[in-house]
Amino acid sequence: MKRWWIRPLVRIGAAVSLPVIVPAVITVFIWSLPGDPASLICPPNVCGGTEALAERWNLDGGPVQFFLGWLSDAARLEFGNSWRLHQGFPVLELLETAIPTTLTLIALATAIVSLGGLGATMGWLPRRIDPILRVVGLVPALVLALAGAAIIELTFGFGSFSDSGRLARLAIGAAVLGLSDGAFTGAVLGTRTTFETESKQRYVGIAILRGEREMTNTWPNVAPALIGQLRARILHLLSGAVVVEVVLRIDGLGDLLWGGTLRQDFGVVLAAATLFAVVSAVLLLIQATAETLVALHVRKAPQGVRLEEGP
Amino acid sequence: MSLKHAIRAATGLALAFVGTGATLAYFEESIPMSLNPLYAKTMADHRAQELVFDRLWFNDAITNELRSRVVQKYQVAEAGRAVEITVKSGIRWHNGQALSAKDVCFTVDAMLDPGTPSTVAAHYREFITGCEEKGPQVALVRFNRVLPKPRERLGFPILPASEFNSTAISPDLQFSARPIGTGPFNGKRGLRMVTFDAFANTHHMPKIVQMQLQEGGDPLVQTKTLINNNVQGIVVVPPPQRPDLSASDDVSMKAYDLRSWWYVSVNSNKGALSDKRVRQALNLVLNRNELRQYSIGVKPGDKNSPCEFISGPFIPASPYYNVEVPVQPNANLSRAEGLLKQAGLEKLGGRWHKDGQAITLRVGMLANLNHEAPDLLSQVANQLGAAGFDRLTSKISADEWDDSVMAGQSDFDLVIGKWSFGLVEEVNELFHSKGRQNMFRFASSEVDQLLAEYEDAVTDTEQRDAYHKLHKVLNDQLPYLFLWKLDTKSAWRTEVRGNIVAPYYYFTEIDAWSVEG
Repeated sequence: MKRWWIRPLVRIGAAVSLPVIVPAVITVFIWSLPGDPASLICPPNVCGGTEALAERWNLDGGPVQFFLGWLSDAARLEFGNSWRLHQGFPVLELLETAIPTTLTLIALATAIVSLGGLGATMGWLPRRIDPILRVVGLVPALVLALAGAAIIELTFGFGSFSDSGRLARLAIGAAVLGLSDGAFTGAVLGTRTTFETESKQRYVGIAILRGEREMTNTWPNVAPALIGQLRARILHLLSGAVVVEVVLRIDGLGDLLWGGTLRQDFGVVLAAATLFAVVSAVLLLIQATAETLVALHVRKAPQGVRLEEGP
Repeated sequence: MSLKHAIRAATGLALAFVGTGATLAYFEESIPMSLNPLYAKTMADHRAQELVFDRLWFNDAITNELRSRVVQKYQVAEAGRAVEITVKSGIRWHNGQALSAKDVCFTVDAMLDPGTPSTVAAHYREFITGCEEKGPQVALVRFNRVLPKPRERLGFPILPASEFNSTAISPDLQFSARPIGTGPFNGKRGLRMVTFDAFANTHHMPKIVQMQLQEGGDPLVQTKTLINNNVQGIVVVPPPQRPDLSASDDVSMKAYDLRSWWYVSVNSNKGALSDKRVRQALNLVLNRNELRQYSIGVKPGDKNSPCEFISGPFIPASPYYNVEVPVQPNANLSRAEGLLKQAGLEKLGGRWHKDGQAITLRVGMLANLNHEAPDLLSQVANQLGAAGFDRLTSKISADEWDDSVMAGQSDFDLVIGKWSFGLVEEVNELFHSKGRQNMFRFASSEVDQLLAEYEDAVTDTEQRDAYHKLHKVLNDQLPYLFLWKLDTKSAWRTEVRGNIVAPYYYFTEIDAWSVEG
């Protein structure tokens, strides 16, 4: 494949455009809703002041003015204050709380999933536990999260938002994310299958006959597929994080996005959704970089190889 | 003088820390949406704001007399169209600045500013026209008419002029989360919890160092947490949890005079429901005894029932309640059928039809009321179904309730809700054709006239007579199907002492509260 660079290039293009496209789509969505957010604070027939509010929130000049205004403010990390969800809280402050929380949650869940993948690759997880893994993988995140929430509330009571309570929420949330909806099972079975399929390739058999290690040969070829799988799994975990954060009341980006949408706090929604887009963009960039490195490695001319001379 | 105040404040603070040094944690119905009094929407908002702000005048929780902690003296001026208020000196805001007449006038100006989109302010705009500073501590508040009891009308919390750049106050200002008041506690809203730190002042000496508020969540978990001493109080205990808590020696139940009554509001502008006879028939279809038994657990004839049926928009203990209007505890389906037929409805295949179309009623209920009256929505729907009406039910979130139902923009036929009142049980906004809380825009000239009569009344008797007549008319026109009043109970650990619960605002007498041990 000579044009190996097309795929990473498309990913880079998507990564660059996502943080702009997502808020643009949300802005269109805001304008497609009946009424305007300013009138939700207080219906105009009940009290005045909504025009002033609309002006303050830059809602009075149409979607283009709003979007460009928001984008230029966002570039300076000025997101204003929450309109309804956490009235009066600076959105940046909300994001500063939410980002590390969600990242920790995703990192912990990714660690669980990656351990599954590693365990499958190294053969630490025997095949006989596959049926158990398949059953565990069938449990939806919502069910596990509800059970986790009940445990937290009954164990910690009023202290469930203390430091230890928050830590417990994170740990349980990560476990729920990592295990439910087939995340762990998928990682184990997916990684194992990928390696097994690759190991059946003729070149691997020849390499083994030459005395080379199986892993050294299969790894460069399965790496792009595994990186793609990992990115998909992290995105899957990010989506699941919304459910887990809402049910377990974890102050992360997903909870912010959900609450902001329910309460039509578009300042919060725009910022949170854009951040999700940024995370997705970063993952795309990592994938593009990894793909490029693997492609360059595979195409690098091997050193010290002599071609057999013909008779 | 200032030295005296400083000594008092320091003593108070020292008492708070050394005397009891306690933290009080409690569960609320919800986390307050805003700590800015101009944007109070829920009861949780009102109760939390009571800890942070001083209202100009308030009713004493025990004697019911009008009192003020911030007004030194007042006099009616300009032939009853104004009140001259002298605020006490030495009172400090939580930011250290002194309370002055400027703050009173700033609050009035903010409420009158058209750039302040507040429903609370909208109420005051109806009779306040302005405020003038007559001196550092003297403010003159003017009205658009002679108010017979002006102090009763001036129950708004005072805002600090120093914290705002303009009198146009929007809800997203940081003040909504971190307000500055003159009340006994300095409040700070977190994402999941609100903390209130004691602030000793010349007029407040709280004995509790810190209060912590959290949203209650599941009532059963709240109950267990309280019994296990992981929290000191629950502001609102649903009826099903009351027996468990009453049985505990470590918990005392406190009556909370919230004057709440439940209703089914009828969309009198929609289809067949615009006919008064149909609404009357629906009133007869409801078997309130069964509803009460299956949702709240009160059986007919139970003694000391927390739930009493009502026939109008007041609780039975209210002076405004007209005892001559009978309640409708049981269904009367044969009479209901007669009324429906008179209204031109036909019963085909067991279902009621209007102009050949089967009637389908969209019934909604404010979702969080389900804690207090579990399954009430299903029970009401079942009774309507048994009487021959198709129905679609849905629970309404608090946001949808505010944004759609209360804004008069929902397309429900019936909504189940609850109104809560303080000592002044004014219902004008609920039933006046232009009322801000008239959810289905019910309009009746007779009702408007009676509400105007109440508004113009000079004496208590005149007011009472107007509302008695209103009660009777509403029971005939039925913009609401009145259900019951339901007592509100709180539960506090017995270690919490002196916990006088004030009507409606709850924490008005918080200075007397302490925690033993």
